[in-house]
Amino acid sequence: MVAVASPRFGQRPASPATLAELEKLTERLARKPAAHLLVDGLSIGYSTLRGRFHAVEDVSFEVPAGTNLGLVGESGCGKSTVVKTLMGLQPEATQVSGRALLDGQNILGLDETALRDVRWKRMSLITQSAMNSLDPVYCIGDQISEAILAHEPVSKATAWARAEQMFALVGLPAGRLYEFPHMFSGGMRQRAVIAMALALNAGLLLADEPTTALDPIMQSQIMTRIRGIHAHLRCSMILVTHDIAVVAETCENIVVMYAGKVAESGPTAEVLESPLHPYTMGLKNAFPRLPERGAPRQPLISIPGVVPNLLLPPAGCRFASRCPFATEVCHRVTPPVVQVGAQRAACHHTDRAAEFRVAAARPETWRTMRGAV
Amino acid sequence: MRAYIFRRLAQSVLVVWAVTTIMFFMFRVMPADPTAILLERGLTDEARQALLEQWGLTGSLWDQYIAYLGNILTGDFGSSFLYRKPVWEVLTPLIINTLWIAVPGLLLGAALGAAIGTAVGWAKRGGKLERSGIFLATIIRGVPNFVIGIALLTIFSSTLGWFPSFGMGDPGETTGFARYMTLDFLHHLALPLIAVIIYFMPENLLLMRSGVVENRTEDYIELVRAKGVPQRRVAWHAARNSMLPLITWLFPALAETIAGIVVIEIVFSWPGVGRELVLAVTRQDYPLAQAAFFLLAVMIVIANLAADLIYGKLDPRVVYK
Ligand SMILES: Nc1ncnc2c1ncn2[C@@H]1O[C@H](COP(=O)(O)OP(=O)(O)OP(=O)(O)O)[C@@H](O)[C@H]1O
Ligand code: SF4
Ligand SMILES: [Mg+2]
Repeated sequence: MVAVASPRFGQRPASPATLAELEKLTERLARKPAAHLLVDGLSIGYSTLRGRFHAVEDVSFEVPAGTNLGLVGESGCGKSTVVKTLMGLQPEATQVSGRALLDGQNILGLDETALRDVRWKRMSLITQSAMNSLDPVYCIGDQISEAILAHEPVSKATAWARAEQMFALVGLPAGRLYEFPHMFSGGMRQRAVIAMALALNAGLLLADEPTTALDPIMQSQIMTRIRGIHAHLRCSMILVTHDIAVVAETCENIVVMYAGKVAESGPTAEVLESPLHPYTMGLKNAFPRLPERGAPRQPLISIPGVVPNLLLPPAGCRFASRCPFATEVCHRVTPPVVQVGAQRAACHHTDRAAEFRVAAARPETWRTMRGAV
Repeated sequence: MRAYIFRRLAQSVLVVWAVTTIMFFMFRVMPADPTAILLERGLTDEARQALLEQWGLTGSLWDQYIAYLGNILTGDFGSSFLYRKPVWEVLTPLIINTLWIAVPGLLLGAALGAAIGTAVGWAKRGGKLERSGIFLATIIRGVPNFVIGIALLTIFSSTLGWFPSFGMGDPGETTGFARYMTLDFLHHLALPLIAVIIYFMPENLLLMRSGVVENRTEDYIELVRAKGVPQRRVAWHAARNSMLPLITWLFPALAETIAGIVVIEIVFSWPGVGRELVLAVTRQDYPLAQAAFFLLAVMIVIANLAADLIYGKLDPRVVYK
């Protein structure tokens, strides 16, 4: 007799009906195709006490079905804002414009009822703050099965059995389903949230810094697990992270955001191999794990200065105040988006990118900011 | 858990003992002679002495105290001076009357307050529902409850004539439980019951609202929304978490709540324990007053104990040590 987790009583021999239903559910979910997402001209404006500002401006990217997209950028550049808005979770007074086509359907501006059909069924979320993302008064099993029961016409027993499968997938013992969030360590909560995100095998997985709150060993364990699971489930994924190395290993495409705008985007290999935007160059050289092929180990650089205040965005290029290659035009005119092959960058001087790349590898370039080369 | 309950029970006994002791000295210190009211009825000195002995009012204070504690332990509160009957005989029907307005009144008040508070807390910030909800609740909470009672009486009894203005009605021939199942009784019950609900609801409503407002922006609510469950279910998560502070307020506030019910009983001349307690004190009917106070003390202690245990049931993070 197969024992599965069941609501209330702990592991129980499963009834044949439950097993049959579970098998049907698993089969049904496994048939879900990976989703395709096209974000086009997405702008998001928050209202605050100090005024309205655009946390995200004119962001466009595409996630082809079955691929991963890495979304990187400094803290506060609007990554979570993009992810939350895709889920329809932006605060009430937020202004959203542009389109986000999930398998051809625009999911921006859907009402709560219509959103229910998208959320978790077609698109699920691994939240940035898994520590606080679980309801403290319900046991984990209840919270996972709640998501399943909201979308699949199965019995509670089957939902719990499915939750146990997901727990196994992320390496948590079934007995832990009966425990409450406060009894979990940070890493376990993170895994519980991942298990929840996988429960319905949604076509698109939004992972907002799934490992930031964890220690480095846990981080790499969780990332390895996410990669493994992902290869197994073959859904599409947007992975928000600060870690360029993780993107290099995990994502086909990359979007580099700076102060609410896309600085550069394109296939990860190309963008990291030959970045066109000075910010990408800085970001790349700020990470220890990607020495240029054949070249001696690169010294680490750090980008001086701070992100501009979005309430009063500067004229011209938003990176100009920190860019070692900025010229007069950069401070005056918003840079155009230049396409080179599959790569796109918003910079006035993409034609000098090769020259910049050499200079950007030297830490002095970033230390002595004279505003021009 | 068991050790915890045991310790709390021991504490409760201690509290009840303290209350009874205070009560003992309070009534002895009061200047008036309890037999004085009976003197008007022409009591001889011997008869008076006999009564004093019967009530345990002779001998040294210490002897009286020991006798008093002994009596309480055996549940014997003596006889009412006024009714000349054992106090429990006097109190039992009154307790039942009080329960008729208190239990449904407080339950409905808490439930309605919690439900409306959730709706108001979940409503759009600064919207009509939120503003009118807070406005009404704050106003009602600010009004003394005898004013609520008098307003109800003025509107529904004097002006509209829909409900009787006082008392519990004439039991007529019916006795026992059937007495409470008459339309006449329910007719009399309506206004005081509504008064208790209106009196008790606003605090629940406001507490629940602020809890929901606080919880609705928590990260876990965001994840519940992301799961695509119905809005009601999302609001329920916020409400469920907001119940914790509500419980911690609800039970300790019981003493105050009981005082409020006493006032309502008096306004509506509802023959309950509270009203009788006030009457007994003014009539210096100490045995009756003592028994009624004792009852209240026990109820409040039990309520606090219940609050702890219910809280533990609602919040998995609580451990009893
Ligand atoms: N609810 C909100 N109301 C107003 N401003 C907000 C709100 N949420 C975020 N912001 C602002 O929007 C900007 C982008 O925030 P966001 O959380 O998207 O950054 P992020 O890229 O995810 O950063 P991190 O890497 O630290 O998570 C920040 O300036 C932030 O202060
Ligand atoms: S536009 Fe000018 S300031 Fe902006 S990144 Fe390019 S070179 Fe630097
Ligand atoms: Mg973020």
